[in-house]
Amino acid sequence: MAEFSWASRSPLEHALVTGAHGARGVEAGVSLTEVRNFDLIQVMARRGKAAELVNAAKGRFGVAAPNAPKAMQSQDATLIWSGPDQFFVLSKGGKHTMDTLALTLSSPASLSDQSHARALVSISGAKARTMLAKLSSIDLHPSAFPIGAAAATSIDHTSVTLWRGNDRSDGQAVFNLLVFATFAESLWHTMLDAAAEYGADIGQSEEF
Amino acid sequence: MTSSQSHRLTSGGLIDRSAPLNFRFDGKTFSGFQGDTLASALIANGVKLVGRSFKYHRPRGILTAGSEEPNALVELRTGARREPNTKATTAELYEGLEATSQNRWPSLRHDVMSVNQLFAPIFVAGFYYKTFMWPAKFWEAIYEPAIRRAAGLGRAAGVADPDHYDKAWAHCDVLIAGSGPAGLAAALAAGRSGARVILCEEDFSLGGRLLSDGGTIDGLPAAEWLLRTLAELEAMPDVRIMARTTLFGVYDGGTYGAIERVNDHLPSPPEHQVRQRLWRIVARRCVVAAGAIERPIVFVGNDTPGVMMASAMRTYVARYAATPAKRMALFTNNEDGWRTVETALSAGLQIAAVIDARPDVSPAHRSLASKGGFPVLHGSVSSVDGGKDGVRKIAVSLTGGARAEVEADGLAVSGGWNPAVGLTSYHRGRPKWLDNIAAFVPDGAPPGMVAVGAANGAFGLGACLADGFAAGGAAAHDTGNSGKAGAAPVAEDEAFSLTPLWHVAGKGKAFVDYQHDVTASDIELAQREGFESVEHLKRYTTLGMATDQGKTSNVAGLAIMAAVTGRSIPETGTTIYRPPYVPVAIGAFAGHHRDETFHATRLTPSHHWAAEQGAVFVDTGLWKRAQWYPRAGEKDWLESVTREVKAVRGGVGFCDVSTLGKIDVHGPDAGAFLDRVYINTFSNLAVGKARYGLMLREDGIVYDDGTTSRLAEDHYFLTTTTAKAGLVMQHLEFCRQVLFPELDVQLTSVSDQWAQFSIAGPKTRDLLKEIVDPAEDLSNDGFPFMGAREVRLRGGIKARLFRISFSGEMAFEISVPARFGEAMARNLMLAGAPLGVTPYGTEALGVMRVEKGHIAGPELSGTTTAADLGLGKIMSTKKDFIGRVMAGREALVAPNRQVVVGIKPVDKARRLRSGAHIIPKGQTPGPGNDQGYVTSVCFSPTLSQWIGLGLVERGRERIGEIVHAHDPLRGEDYDVELCNPVFYDPDGGRQRG
Repeated sequence: MAEFSWASRSPLEHALVTGAHGARGVEAGVSLTEVRNFDLIQVMARRGKAAELVNAAKGRFGVAAPNAPKAMQSQDATLIWSGPDQFFVLSKGGKHTMDTLALTLSSPASLSDQSHARALVSISGAKARTMLAKLSSIDLHPSAFPIGAAAATSIDHTSVTLWRGNDRSDGQAVFNLLVFATFAESLWHTMLDAAAEYGADIGQSEEF
Repeated sequence: MTSSQSHRLTSGGLIDRSAPLNFRFDGKTFSGFQGDTLASALIANGVKLVGRSFKYHRPRGILTAGSEEPNALVELRTGARREPNTKATTAELYEGLEATSQNRWPSLRHDVMSVNQLFAPIFVAGFYYKTFMWPAKFWEAIYEPAIRRAAGLGRAAGVADPDHYDKAWAHCDVLIAGSGPAGLAAALAAGRSGARVILCEEDFSLGGRLLSDGGTIDGLPAAEWLLRTLAELEAMPDVRIMARTTLFGVYDGGTYGAIERVNDHLPSPPEHQVRQRLWRIVARRCVVAAGAIERPIVFVGNDTPGVMMASAMRTYVARYAATPAKRMALFTNNEDGWRTVETALSAGLQIAAVIDARPDVSPAHRSLASKGGFPVLHGSVSSVDGGKDGVRKIAVSLTGGARAEVEADGLAVSGGWNPAVGLTSYHRGRPKWLDNIAAFVPDGAPPGMVAVGAANGAFGLGACLADGFAAGGAAAHDTGNSGKAGAAPVAEDEAFSLTPLWHVAGKGKAFVDYQHDVTASDIELAQREGFESVEHLKRYTTLGMATDQGKTSNVAGLAIMAAVTGRSIPETGTTIYRPPYVPVAIGAFAGHHRDETFHATRLTPSHHWAAEQGAVFVDTGLWKRAQWYPRAGEKDWLESVTREVKAVRGGVGFCDVSTLGKIDVHGPDAGAFLDRVYINTFSNLAVGKARYGLMLREDGIVYDDGTTSRLAEDHYFLTTTTAKAGLVMQHLEFCRQVLFPELDVQLTSVSDQWAQFSIAGPKTRDLLKEIVDPAEDLSNDGFPFMGAREVRLRGGIKARLFRISFSGEMAFEISVPARFGEAMARNLMLAGAPLGVTPYGTEALGVMRVEKGHIAGPELSGTTTAADLGLGKIMSTKKDFIGRVMAGREALVAPNRQVVVGIKPVDKARRLRSGAHIIPKGQTPGPGNDQGYVTSVCFSPTLSQWIGLGLVERGRERIGEIVHAHDPLRGEDYDVELCNPVFYDPDGGRQRG
């Protein structure tokens, strides 16, 4: 009998080359880090049960589910708005999977597993906003897009979820981007192209 | 000609004499300085002749010092980077710049085509329309190419541009166009108030006319005030100053287009950098401080090299320390023109004379004339004597009728100033006429926009500063910024007294539109021939239609038309203003989207595995799909595809079908929802079963098809075709949110969540047994045809298994979470090796579906009904669904509709082609007897011949009939037989087996 390997393979595995990209001899203006192997569950309130879902989510995560384009950080998950009465639960390490969330949320909500349907890229660095201005029509000025701001938008005609996470320890802003898995490699090349003139530091991580 | 900068002043100007630059123009080497434009460097070297005109090939010189230049167009750079029609007046000089004059042969000084001037009397407006009408077919083949060669502009590079361009967004409270005194004052007020400000300046230096005209602001020399102001603005974190950036258009919702020439001032962009960047700026307010454009006066010989706008003349002298003329004359109808005399005198140049069209000249200017020792002539320039080496003599008709002559090597002309009304008029605005300046000014503007300073007809320095400051402060205030703006900068206003003068009548060519060679007499001719409306005038004479869009010519053209029709200028009106304000390279609009990155692409989960196998990929919408997997020794695609089909039909194969749209339909009302969107019923589908479904558009035509499985009471898994995946999702969301909000149903696209493979062939079960956990029952009883459920795989992961078949074989589709997709392909190869498992591509998939008579894209063409496709029977009569009523329309149920039928060539060896028309046998093909067409064809390895599907009138009633296939596109005519569309295993035993 054949020995099967079920190696998980990120949609960016082929395209992502860690290290420096683009302009050299300067401090990299942009850091692009792919975060791999996350759990992402779409939670959509059933008809008339939005309030019940809010309570259930509050009980489960300890933070209020976002009711506007925002990302809420809990102890071990990020709740990201994805539309009226719906949000994503992003987590690592199997803490919030279809099976575990169904216990508390399946009565007020429909759950759909999107863990494999997206790639997650984190963008930071002194030139992160400048580089993102080439990709996104969203105003990312600190006054318009503070920590926790989120947007369901499109980049390069590709649907994405963009939100601002907590700042890096050096104070630099961090932008997180969820993109559909089958578009990920294409968008990745667009991002590399946009970042090249500032110098990019490419990495991948199993942690947020 | 000399290369020693013979026409450069020894001091002054904003050039860096410590940074000399070498450049070449028409193969000759010159030198200039950092801070020069190509035009100023040519002037500094005494070059007067820079181009040949469009139609008559007349020698032309530099007319202006800005982006309104009609004459001095050159081909800049060489090879793949060659850019035609580049304005020498805005091209920044750099070391090694190479430019070539245009539209001349063999050389600029000896241009064969200048014989056109001899024929000038016949090359009048409308000449081409009148002359080359007959014979009609000669136009495209002979006349137009010949005319384009003779009358043309620069040559495109003809090869791909090696440079990169990109696009970016910016956002601000207050956007300011122009960094002259009005724009800077607006930026100061808005910035100090705390607003987010973007200031765009077309030039590479900030300051606008301050750079040329100086003045005193807040008691400081203008240059000093400029430095202080720029330092203050640069210190504000939310003020962004963008030089080399032209704001070229305004669009809906406060979005503006701007082009930034990031690296045009270098020979080539540094590594990883772009040449130009296209900006989309979203601004809540916009202050247009775009200034004004000085206008020529139309007189005979006004296109002689050396005739130049007065403001340009003093820009070259003051800003660039370059002298277009050593002994110049001025022809003006206003006070502003005299500033050129002041500048020239202080630079030590000679003034030959001032010809002033006004009745009076101020005492100050009279004493200037007597001090400078030059005459002031009241009258007009009637003609200029000169040629390709410049102006020699100027003929003047004096007020009262006498004539005079002035010897000069340059003539500065000022006919007044036209505010730059482009941006304010791009939303169909019509500017209004102001008599006191004899010019059009904005009459309103798109929402959120206001024009200030010279762009609004306020030409004085003091007025520009005050206007700009007030507008900048107001814009900041309107956008919620309440910081203290402080005091406005103060300056005095210069006098501007103008007596309108547009055209000095005379014998000979007097040019209105220099770039398109439109003369005053062309406009008079247009009027005589009935083209009086300004829009007709424009099209008939091509006035204002060149790359400069008539910036120096339009108003003069209107004024001449007004004069010959006896109307006023405002009655004559303006043509519609359209963006872009300056030409913008297509490369900038394309940005990153070129070549392989022309559009986003989607890759299936097994893409890189398939690439490793040597798959040939085909673009299917945004997808790259494996089309076939060639093996060594196979001579063409047909051989590979035939092998793949035979391997499936005789054994087992698999194909990545992840491109199908996949939608989770959740909720207690999911079944009821699907009943309304599909023509058949899904609410009665048992959990664990799949069913084929067909959905219609509202108009009764088939929209899409696919299988939908019920995975739980309240969870269906719906699939769509690859092509319609996104559209069906949109359609279903529309149904859910708008049509049926009462239903408790939730939709999620899971297209990217699942890697899905079709596994087909008689040995499918043997292969699956190797992959699937042994505890799972895959027998016909345990997993019957159209079964659908979750299974556990060896190695622990879970998958979804669907017993559905597109190939007509015993088949399953298996789904695993997408990150396991590549592992699935590898494991299928591993497990299937003893069975000879064969990966197959979309071609083999297509062959098997045609053999099986399954419909796909070519039949779901947006014109077919369910009955046309042979699926009328599944249309439920017991429930309502989208498209039901309209599907019953007379024409959609007519008995003579074209319906799906099989097609076989009578000559078994013949190849079929899709697109061939079906005609009754023995008839001459024509629209009257066209009965349909061939939709899909393939070579069937199973039947060893070409077969096809077609949409043919009453096709199902005509099985066995021989008809004629007529293919005019490929020049083929042959007989075919109409047959059952199911060529393979018509009773379906194999897929159930």
